[in-house]
Amino acid sequence: MEQHRIGVYVCECGTNIAKVVDCAAVVRAAEVLPGVAVATSYKYMCSTPGQEMIAADIQEKGLDRVVVASCSPRMHEPTFRRTIRNAGLNPYYLQMANIREQCSWVHGAGAEATQKAIDLVHAAVNRVGLHEPLESRTVAMCSNTLVLGGGIAGLTASLELADAGYQVYLVEKADHLGGNLARVDLTAPYLDSAQDLLRERIQRVANHPRIETFLGTELRSLEGYVGNFTAAVALAGGDGGSGAGNGSAAQSGDGGGPGRWALEVGSVIVAIGYKEFDASRITHFGYGKLPNVITSFEFEKMVREGRIQTAEGGQPQYAAIVHCVGSRSQEFHAYCSRVCCMTALKYAHELKSAVPGCYISDVYIDMHAFGKGCEDFYRRSSEVKTLFLMYGKNEYPVIRKADPADDCGLLIEVNEQLSREQIEIPADLVILMVGMEAREDSGEVAHMVGISQDKDGWFIESHPKLDPVATTTEGVFIAGTCAAPKDIPDSVAQARAAAGRILARIAKGSIEVDAVYAEIDEEACSGCRICNELCPYVAIEFDAEAKRSRVISALCKACGACVAACPSGAIRARHFTDEQIFAEIEGVLA
Amino acid sequence: MNAEVATAVETPVVGGDGRGAPAAEKQAALRVSGSSATFQPRIVGFLCNWCSYAGADLAGTSRTPYAATVRVIRVMCSARIDPTFVLKALAEGADGVLICGCHPGDCHYSEGNYKTMRRYPLLKRMLADFGIEEERVRLEWVSASEGQHFADVVDDMTRRIRALGPSKVKIALATDRAER
Repeated sequence: MEQHRIGVYVCECGTNIAKVVDCAAVVRAAEVLPGVAVATSYKYMCSTPGQEMIAADIQEKGLDRVVVASCSPRMHEPTFRRTIRNAGLNPYYLQMANIREQCSWVHGAGAEATQKAIDLVHAAVNRVGLHEPLESRTVAMCSNTLVLGGGIAGLTASLELADAGYQVYLVEKADHLGGNLARVDLTAPYLDSAQDLLRERIQRVANHPRIETFLGTELRSLEGYVGNFTAAVALAGGDGGSGAGNGSAAQSGDGGGPGRWALEVGSVIVAIGYKEFDASRITHFGYGKLPNVITSFEFEKMVREGRIQTAEGGQPQYAAIVHCVGSRSQEFHAYCSRVCCMTALKYAHELKSAVPGCYISDVYIDMHAFGKGCEDFYRRSSEVKTLFLMYGKNEYPVIRKADPADDCGLLIEVNEQLSREQIEIPADLVILMVGMEAREDSGEVAHMVGISQDKDGWFIESHPKLDPVATTTEGVFIAGTCAAPKDIPDSVAQARAAAGRILARIAKGSIEVDAVYAEIDEEACSGCRICNELCPYVAIEFDAEAKRSRVISALCKACGACVAACPSGAIRARHFTDEQIFAEIEGVLA
Repeated sequence: MNAEVATAVETPVVGGDGRGAPAAEKQAALRVSGSSATFQPRIVGFLCNWCSYAGADLAGTSRTPYAATVRVIRVMCSARIDPTFVLKALAEGADGVLICGCHPGDCHYSEGNYKTMRRYPLLKRMLADFGIEEERVRLEWVSASEGQHFADVVDDMTRRIRALGPSKVKIALATDRAER
């Protein structure tokens, strides 16, 4: 067997790894493995000195393979591939051993964790010797973008891309643009008009020569790969109807037809937003049964229509605002919906200005005023005579009809946390601050575009801190509240970030895609065609004359389903060959 | 269920702070005094890159402790897992093999996990013919958000294999070769 010169680098990750795994013992175990020329540990391999150490060893000690034992490859594989490429090695001559996420963070300090780290390093050393030099493929980048969702995030992203001179197809399921923001009157904390924010954007989108808008339309399928997708969109709920787009440039061609369009795009931004929590699920509040118990969106409607009044048509003498409806609860959604606290304070202001004599109670769990200008807004709200009452988490206030003798329509029973007293709050109007939740169609969309959802249904980003708008599918980005509850500035920032990422790729003109795909040894292929049927991407074609199957590498996404199924063993998964995986198995069990 | 499983395999449950590496004292409780003889199974885990490997990473970022028995090998899709991988692992001395993929309907490659689902019973039937105990090979769906589920699966599998004792496949193969 060919003798390699392998460098093994064990990262201590500050103390994240070193506190649990005996890194020196891992180095000692690695040193004696066949082919290992250098083994060492360092505080942070991903730091500049850490990467320089690897590069220097490649050049000075003639390393031809590198193993980095550190965090998950999902975190820093691209980093270290770049490091070794810059030092003159093929980037695929790297293997990582995940000794942080899958070792030191889940096991206690001691021999077992250290042994596991040693086994994982052994597997990586075994495998890396079998790595082949692979060249990334370069594919053309189509400059058109599909934007799903016409809320503030989708509108912003569309304008950003179109203003830069590139075609955008904006697909909105509803029959109008604006999303949830179109249902809002003023915004917190500066009390400026949501409609002012939207109107200008909607007008520009509608008149923009580079934006084609499809209303009442939804995505049906997304085929292809980064830079080269084909999106099938169609009028929501079957065909026919009149909610079509404002143009027809894309209507012709394959896949077209009445109410159906096939769009060629290079990138996709998913910005489908959220839906509000159904307040009737919490029976304590009597929503849907008691008159004058309304949701925040119903109150917004009242404000926009300029009449804040009870069901009986009078002005409320007492109003109460209840926070965290569906949010921060074990039973419903454990997360905070982030915007409701400030919206609640905004309602107090709106009530005060519309009904100056109104007595307002704000019934909350904790006041979350984390954004720019929000703490100051909270202070100002406290000064306008709003009574703040705290209720306990998972201890919902109970709303009931008041007695005829009372001077109010409703009573809210609260176990008030600060005074530790059971009190009754009078109310003629109760506003429930309903939280955000993932849309019902989010699962369907995630499936079509190939992205994942967390346990609450929010779309998962490529990395929560370092790569917040990219996803595990190259070329598909997420922006706004479909990724998690967030406010307008954060949604806009994400929309612009996603557009920026796409513009950078368009500017380059082409895009590098992973060199990992399957290939068929035509000598070994028996022409049985089992793989033809298995491939979900129709990436395997059959040459009828030669009676052999062939992989179209640009279409292959490297899942390996055909590799495992080939009865002749004629298909190889590059970078995931049988030999490489066998070497790993031998390594972990050595 | 979680608490029960955790107790059964003597793995510490995340405590009050919930962050950082599991505290040393909790870990000390894991190794019950004089239990050095406790059989620690060696499980090879084949995890798909998109759901299950991410789920196992999430167990890490959420500091969800589980038994240090599994050694993970990453594949792009559970459909890549050739039955020979499982046989190879058993032949090399694994006490158990865990196969994890995305939930049905959630495959990153549309339908790879359905292929896994169809192949798995055939593999199980073959293993039964070889006399390999049912519980040594297991298929589980673990999504990218199910770190806790992954930890529970590893703990539960560890407990069951510990009850079975070490796999005899490797010894049997060696004996077989020696006799021949």
